[in-house]
Amino acid sequence: MATMTSGRHGIIRVGRRPGRDRGDVRAQRNSLRRTVFLVPGIALLGLLGVYPLIQLVWMAFHRVTSATINSGPWEWVGLDNFVQGFQLGETGPAITRTLVVVAIVTVFGMVGGFAAAVALRTSGWWSSALLALMVFVWALPPVVNGSVWKFLLSDNGLVNAIVMALGRSTPIPFLYDTNWALLSVAFVGAFAVIPFNALVFRAALLAVDPEIFEAAALDGVNRWGEVRHIMMPSVRPTSLVLLVLTMVYAFRSFDFIFVMTYGGPGTATNTLPFLGFLQAFARFNFGYGAATSVLAVIVVLVLAVIYARSIRKEEA
Amino acid sequence: MNTKAGPVNIALKVLFTLMYGLPILRIVQTSFTSSADVFNAQSNLFFRPTLQAYVNNLDASLFIALRQSVIIATGTTVLVLLVAVPAAYGLARVRGHVATIGLGLLVVLQTLPQTAQIIPLFQILGMWGLLDTIVGVVLANAALLAPFATLLLRPFFRSVPIALEEAGAIDGAGMFRQFASIALPIARNGILTVSSITFLLAWGEFLYSVRFLLTPANRPLSVLLAMQVSAFGIDWPGLMALAVLTSLPILAVFLLTYRLLRDGLTVGAVK
Repeated sequence: MATMTSGRHGIIRVGRRPGRDRGDVRAQRNSLRRTVFLVPGIALLGLLGVYPLIQLVWMAFHRVTSATINSGPWEWVGLDNFVQGFQLGETGPAITRTLVVVAIVTVFGMVGGFAAAVALRTSGWWSSALLALMVFVWALPPVVNGSVWKFLLSDNGLVNAIVMALGRSTPIPFLYDTNWALLSVAFVGAFAVIPFNALVFRAALLAVDPEIFEAAALDGVNRWGEVRHIMMPSVRPTSLVLLVLTMVYAFRSFDFIFVMTYGGPGTATNTLPFLGFLQAFARFNFGYGAATSVLAVIVVLVLAVIYARSIRKEEA
Repeated sequence: MNTKAGPVNIALKVLFTLMYGLPILRIVQTSFTSSADVFNAQSNLFFRPTLQAYVNNLDASLFIALRQSVIIATGTTVLVLLVAVPAAYGLARVRGHVATIGLGLLVVLQTLPQTAQIIPLFQILGMWGLLDTIVGVVLANAALLAPFATLLLRPFFRSVPIALEEAGAIDGAGMFRQFASIALPIARNGILTVSSITFLLAWGEFLYSVRFLLTPANRPLSVLLAMQVSAFGIDWPGLMALAVLTSLPILAVFLLTYRLLRDGLTVGAVK
């Protein structure tokens, strides 16, 4: 991990453990006293982070509708909400759709991010301007990116204009066909995550000692060889963390679905998180929506554990 | 290092420039097109520019939405900083189980789907009488973004040498004094980076605002945009003009803080 210690680049920073080899008793006492700095965070995240999470699980085991949401006690229904989701055939397909989105966003996000980083590694005005452009698009509100892609992918939109100029006679129903719609929202998700991944990969590439490239050039290594034998190995430690983060991003994404398809056509873009949202706020069956969301939470918990372990490992 | 661009390199750059440049060009171009011309102009770069879409958008409700966006984004940023700055410092200095549990919890909260958090929050904010209030949205936003902000800030505080604080202690500075006059100034770039990102994210947030703010006069720009785009029979120039207007403050923040974003964004977390 020595390559990752250079400055503020890179996703993980290897810092020296504070006060490890000094007077341990004093450090222990100082460490304990500094817990007081955590108090505002504990208050806010306890009330509006942890408590809602517990409440979500509680709601999942009860019948909660718009009539009863503000007046308890709620009727205990055990696992009924979960069973209903599978019996009505909503949860299963939603899980499949979520996996499709995660697969597409992850593959395109990682490959596209790495390709962009390789291209942006070179110096010059074009690279600088392109990097700035990509970071700007990343910073735009998701509703802005979602609206413009809804426009570009419409029947008369730019993408279809190009497709038809290339010889297709009818427009591709990007947002109206059940299969295309899911691919479209996944593609826009990848589009939105590539700039961030490119930044992370670029930081890892810039940390490579230039002498390694010089030595490779002397040995007659070609460009593909540089990518394959220098760049890919040097981003490997970063890619593991980035992979998890991209999967989490893909899994929890809902904004492009909200803006571009609102879960449709039919149920075509009802991913697990979005399905829970619709069950709660379109059908006003909050307990049912909570149950679906609990399933979504369980999946991200697995990813969160992998992520947290990798942070600890890098810092140890 | 071989920094000259080869053919593959140039092809990649063309591809990414088109991929990220064209959407921006299309937003701006369409916003200056008349509704009648919108799909004619699609394959045609020559069109009659008009300010009609902007004129149509510029009414009292737009300014109310703009004000709401400013209040929500600023309020969220301030609250997140008040919580995340001390928490990040604390987690950079505290050791043992407290740090492990704290970090684990932050990672879990950061990865939760927002659509899962909104269901219980709707009930809880209702119980507290905070639905349809800006305070409710700011609190929910702050809870959404604080874990990310804290994880991003912590490495900046970890890089403050502990010896500096110990020297301060010898000079008689107490714990809070060490934090305020030694650690804070050194971590300044990190705090600016996190402020900028929090503002950008809070400006674009729309799900909480759509659900929690029921009175139209309370809604920020992001909600106006989200509701227009899902409406039947979209007026594209009007929508794109609104998108441009919503993005202008983002452009301002971006221009001011681009270097910080580029170098600081990748330190500890993900959007």
